[in-house]
Amino acid sequence: MSLEPARDFVIVGGGTAGWMAAAALAKCAGTQQRRITLIESEAIGTVGVGESTIPPIQLFNRLLGIDEDEFVRETNATFKLGIEFVDWRRVGERYFHNFGLLGADLRTGVSFNHYWLRWAQSGGDPDQLRFSAEAEAARLGKFGRTPGAAGSGQPNINYAFQFDASTYAAYLRRYSEKRGVIRREGKVVDVRQDPETGFIDAVQMEDGSSIQGDFFIDCSGFRGLLIEQVFKAGFEDWSHWLPNDRAAAAPAERMPEPAPYTVARAREAGWQWRIPLQHRTGNGYVYCSSYISDDEASSRLVESLGGSALADPRVLRFQAGRRRASWVKNCLALGLSSGFLEPLESTSIHLVQAAISKFLDFFPARRPDPALIDRFNEEMRFQYESIRDFIIAHYKVTEREDTEFWRYCRHMSIPDTLAEKLEMFRARGEVKPRWSDIFSEVSWFAVLYGQGLTPEGYHPLADLMSEDDLELTLSRIRSAIRQKVDALPSHGDFIRGCCSSREMSAA
Amino acid sequence: MSRRVTSVAVVGRDVSLWLTVVALQSALGRTGLRIHAVDLGSRLSRADVYVALPTLASLHRLLGVDERLVLDACRGVPMVGQRFSNWAKGAPPFMLAYDDEPPPGGRLPFLQYWAKAALEGLRVGLEEFSLGSGCARLNAVPLPVDENAVLSASYGYQLEAQAYAELLKQLALRRGIEIAASPLCGVGITGDTIEGVELADGTRIEADLYVDASGREARLIGGLASAHFESWSEWLPCDRLLAASAPRMPSLPAFSQVSAFHGGWVGLFPLQDRTAVVAAYSSTAAKDSEVADLAGVITRVRISGDAVVSDLGPGARQSPWLGNCVAIGEAAIAPDPIDGVEMQVTQAGISHLVSLFPATAGKSPEASAYNAAIRSFGSNLRDFQAAHYLFNRRYDEAMWDRVRDAAPPPGLARKAGMFRARAIIPMADEETFQEQGWAALLTGCGIVPQGYDPRVDVLPAEAHVEMVQQRLRAVAELARRMPAVDQFIAAEQQMPLQAGA
Repeated sequence: MSLEPARDFVIVGGGTAGWMAAAALAKCAGTQQRRITLIESEAIGTVGVGESTIPPIQLFNRLLGIDEDEFVRETNATFKLGIEFVDWRRVGERYFHNFGLLGADLRTGVSFNHYWLRWAQSGGDPDQLRFSAEAEAARLGKFGRTPGAAGSGQPNINYAFQFDASTYAAYLRRYSEKRGVIRREGKVVDVRQDPETGFIDAVQMEDGSSIQGDFFIDCSGFRGLLIEQVFKAGFEDWSHWLPNDRAAAAPAERMPEPAPYTVARAREAGWQWRIPLQHRTGNGYVYCSSYISDDEASSRLVESLGGSALADPRVLRFQAGRRRASWVKNCLALGLSSGFLEPLESTSIHLVQAAISKFLDFFPARRPDPALIDRFNEEMRFQYESIRDFIIAHYKVTEREDTEFWRYCRHMSIPDTLAEKLEMFRARGEVKPRWSDIFSEVSWFAVLYGQGLTPEGYHPLADLMSEDDLELTLSRIRSAIRQKVDALPSHGDFIRGCCSSREMSAA
Repeated sequence: MSRRVTSVAVVGRDVSLWLTVVALQSALGRTGLRIHAVDLGSRLSRADVYVALPTLASLHRLLGVDERLVLDACRGVPMVGQRFSNWAKGAPPFMLAYDDEPPPGGRLPFLQYWAKAALEGLRVGLEEFSLGSGCARLNAVPLPVDENAVLSASYGYQLEAQAYAELLKQLALRRGIEIAASPLCGVGITGDTIEGVELADGTRIEADLYVDASGREARLIGGLASAHFESWSEWLPCDRLLAASAPRMPSLPAFSQVSAFHGGWVGLFPLQDRTAVVAAYSSTAAKDSEVADLAGVITRVRISGDAVVSDLGPGARQSPWLGNCVAIGEAAIAPDPIDGVEMQVTQAGISHLVSLFPATAGKSPEASAYNAAIRSFGSNLRDFQAAHYLFNRRYDEAMWDRVRDAAPPPGLARKAGMFRARAIIPMADEETFQEQGWAALLTGCGIVPQGYDPRVDVLPAEAHVEMVQQRLRAVAELARRMPAVDQFIAAEQQMPLQAGA
């Protein structure tokens, strides 16, 4: 086993995943002692439609040391405070999955939800989002950066971004090339493996040249050029729980005042996204082809956009599931080549980012230690599964039975890991996520409660506070949130103030 | 309308029982929860000692128990770690000290910088960079520095077992906990449900929830239909325990001393008025009488008074929460006596029970979360203890050869493998020992990292050397400011940290 660190990295495929990997490697491992090559072909399109993210992307930006205003400007981005879910519990109902905290930490050993549940169960306002600054700001179309409480490591208003994925890739490409990443135009047609170890030695290009490397990163998309076609890692199919397998996507005119949140509207055979950007609005209908045809889904999408559609819908195909191993020998799969979960909770960029930072932590030797590879794959499996469960909950916990699609979802069997969480939640309004879970208790609460699962009880410790104290505490938190939100500018004004793109300034 | 849990019956003995009732009372008493304690009678002897990790001090603060009172009543001695000798033939002893994890968000862990330096020929061991070990060498007690200090360490205790159990029992009485006046004579069980407990005087106690704090005997949970106890003897081979006493050490050290011998190990745990001697061994490798003679020889102390011998059986209950019964302490997880984790097991059970305390009587969807947490806690703890045995280098001794040849539990194999490959400790949920503890253990067991995080290379060579030396100086300087154990004990109250030089 060679213990020398890998020096020569070859990334196969551009697009969001490829350029995220290139940028992070260039920044953290450097191009002084290492060579980072990215192969992409202009002939192969990338799957780049409006992209919505979750707050940990701030960590990735910080890792790269990029200026947030510049990033927002260059990717036509807007800020995102959460997701509004429309018609999910039943037609006509809506709820908001807020980022950030719910209420405040009362330092009593039990979390805010228990106090709030006690209050609500004895007749208080059933809208818990009055206790979320993010949800309140979103309701009013406001946004601002507020300084984080000392030591919390989290901004007071937590946020993510909605941006144009193709300009994001281009932005990271400029970042990477400036730091010495070599871009090679062309298509990979063949792979040369070491006959003894099976490790990839080089990839063969269409023009006859070959590119050698110590380590290969497969960002080739669904087909998994290296991870599947060479290493036969295998695919675990999750379509039983997540039957959606198509999306029809179309851009529409920009919203005059872009909303600081993404909308997910449930439809007859899936759901439709609306992602407001600075220069246009991304839209797409994610559906299951067993319940609706491509043509019908596309026309439903276009109808919903009224006259604002800017192009005809494009249909994308996918399958929910996970590559059984995302790291095999000297090959790591990132993005679609390592698995696919529908964009309902905006987790695709996060999964790329999580894999990259874990990969940096486990930075391999030329012949990576199997113990590292096993652990990496196990941690990624957990990440995929925990997001999978969270997404399934949106379909399973519903009162909708108005179409065949929703009847299927409501009655499908679910993974045991999720069933246990739902049972806990029904009893006491919490699910006890593991520390490595991406979605916190706050997220689970917003979604499960919003989908119509109402907790029957709460932690007995929440009974300790006197009724007067509880009222007082809650109203204090409420007014602190109102004050904070009142002081914020509108989302549009905030962007115009520091980070509007050329297109938006021109509009 | 659903009903709250309004009564809990806790059946057990000694510290598991008393700590559980006092902690439950303190956390939940004000909700109107009625706690019944059923005491099965002490099994402790005068020779017994409790060894506790630093978290016990935090629990005491939470319960409002004064540290000075504990040290005085239990002839207690603070200690910053444990020293392990003779676990490898010819290798020097190593220290496992209680260094605190640095605040998050800083640079890479120091371990990575050390791993690179060691690969480039640095001969100074990882231990030299630990504040806890630095304090141990000076017999000093590490006082808290400040919240954001990169270097800080904590101390645990060695306590007279009988006195500590009595102190907690008195506390329970003072806090008005109902203690059954008559001994237990029977437990009513249907399937996985406890119907009630019967006392010798004919009283019957029925409660919404039952807690089994009876130790390995598992008087409540052991009788349930689905009860299953899994043995860990494959990796933790000691099945006998001997407790004895030796005279007080003239100058009190700040650490326990644990020495391996052909049949197991012998530990010296200094107390204010005596030294507790504990030996754990395999009955296949050593006879009780032989160990009683050997213990003094190995540790070079004069054993006085009677030695008390008992059985050991490390392992864990598959479901520590079954039906309406929750096991806490050794009834849930029976660890090996090495590393002083027995109290930790009780504390973990209490803290998870409080956090998952049922919202409704008669239902317990919380059980699966409790079981998952305690199982994970137990296997991490077992892996830590098993490392001492599995990675021993006492060749040509039957017991040691056998355990060295056993396949390690998967979690330990992964930790050792990744530590060797890249100086990474893959942490699991519910770890008792954090990265620095694991790194100290694994390097102590002779595992040397063969790689490190390449981000270390961003630091130029000279800056790297300077950084490593700077840490060494900082450890020495800080350790010198800490009070000696004797001074610490003699002080009337919590001592202030001396100003820096």
